[in-house]
Amino acid sequence: MARRESAEANLDMTPFLGLVYLLIGFFMVITNFKAAALDLNMKLPVVGSARPVETGGQQSLLILNIRPIENAQGEKEVALTTYGAPRFDVENYIAGEAQASLLTARRDNPDLQAGDELPTTVVIRADQTTPFRLLDRVIRACQENGFRNFALKARDPNEK
Amino acid sequence: MARRSGAKTELNTSAMFDMGFQLLTFFILSFKPVPIEGQISLRLPPPQAVKTQTQTAPSSQSNEPADVVQGVDTIVISVFAQPNGSIAGIGVGEEGLPGPSALNVRLQTIFSDPAIPFEQVIVQVAPNLRYDELMRVIDVCTRQVLPDGKKLSKLSFASLGGE
Repeated sequence: MARRESAEANLDMTPFLGLVYLLIGFFMVITNFKAAALDLNMKLPVVGSARPVETGGQQSLLILNIRPIENAQGEKEVALTTYGAPRFDVENYIAGEAQASLLTARRDNPDLQAGDELPTTVVIRADQTTPFRLLDRVIRACQENGFRNFALKARDPNEK
Repeated sequence: MARRSGAKTELNTSAMFDMGFQLLTFFILSFKPVPIEGQISLRLPPPQAVKTQTQTAPSSQSNEPADVVQGVDTIVISVFAQPNGSIAGIGVGEEGLPGPSALNVRLQTIFSDPAIPFEQVIVQVAPNLRYDELMRVIDVCTRQVLPDGKKLSKLSFASLGGE
């Protein structure tokens, strides 16, 4: 029986490397970094008529994650969670976003003035336990800054 | 100038492997599938002065002088809450209803009559009503088909009790 001695075994790693980069490409494509703006720990209400998002090509969205948080006095206060951090200066934050939205909208409509209706859709993702008084504060702040189009997020009862 | 001839060059792929696996690990760890969410699209203008079918004078909801505001035809839906934030009852105008199912029937009756003119639907909500309970009411409202064949998507919210 022939024995191969002192033969150097060279493993061809090229296909393996190809597979690794294929996997990297796959994860790069499917990773959605916009999801970082969503508070995924929030419990959304379940509504039968909620439809999947149809932006119709519109990219101008203002996502507001609304969560009731107890303050030092034990009272529930509205907080907007942006990238995981709660913000309590709701009116200032929305006013700033409205200013940014106005500047963006002026590219298409230079005649747009402050206080005019903004084309941006406000996406409201509120925890299902949020009392209306807190939600109303956010909606009013949006209306005062010219937002009129809203999308209220909910879970489909058929989705597990 | 020196020329290398006949020498077999081998590319050292170890560093490339390391980098590849680091990138792969990053993407695997940072991958979090986003749940599919639905939404209800609404147009929410601020509430205007009210003129119901039986009431032609502007109501107290507007701070503007009565002789200036003409008011618009309005359907007012009031949602009352229990202390725990769930729905205690619903009112359409002066009529009391037990819950969203009855509201659905009532609104279908209202909107089936093309002679009823209205320009806005105001939902007056108790301050402590929970968002999931409010969404049940909004769900009923947005299912309604108007006499012109369009779905109801224009609502205004007001806080019950004038907060």
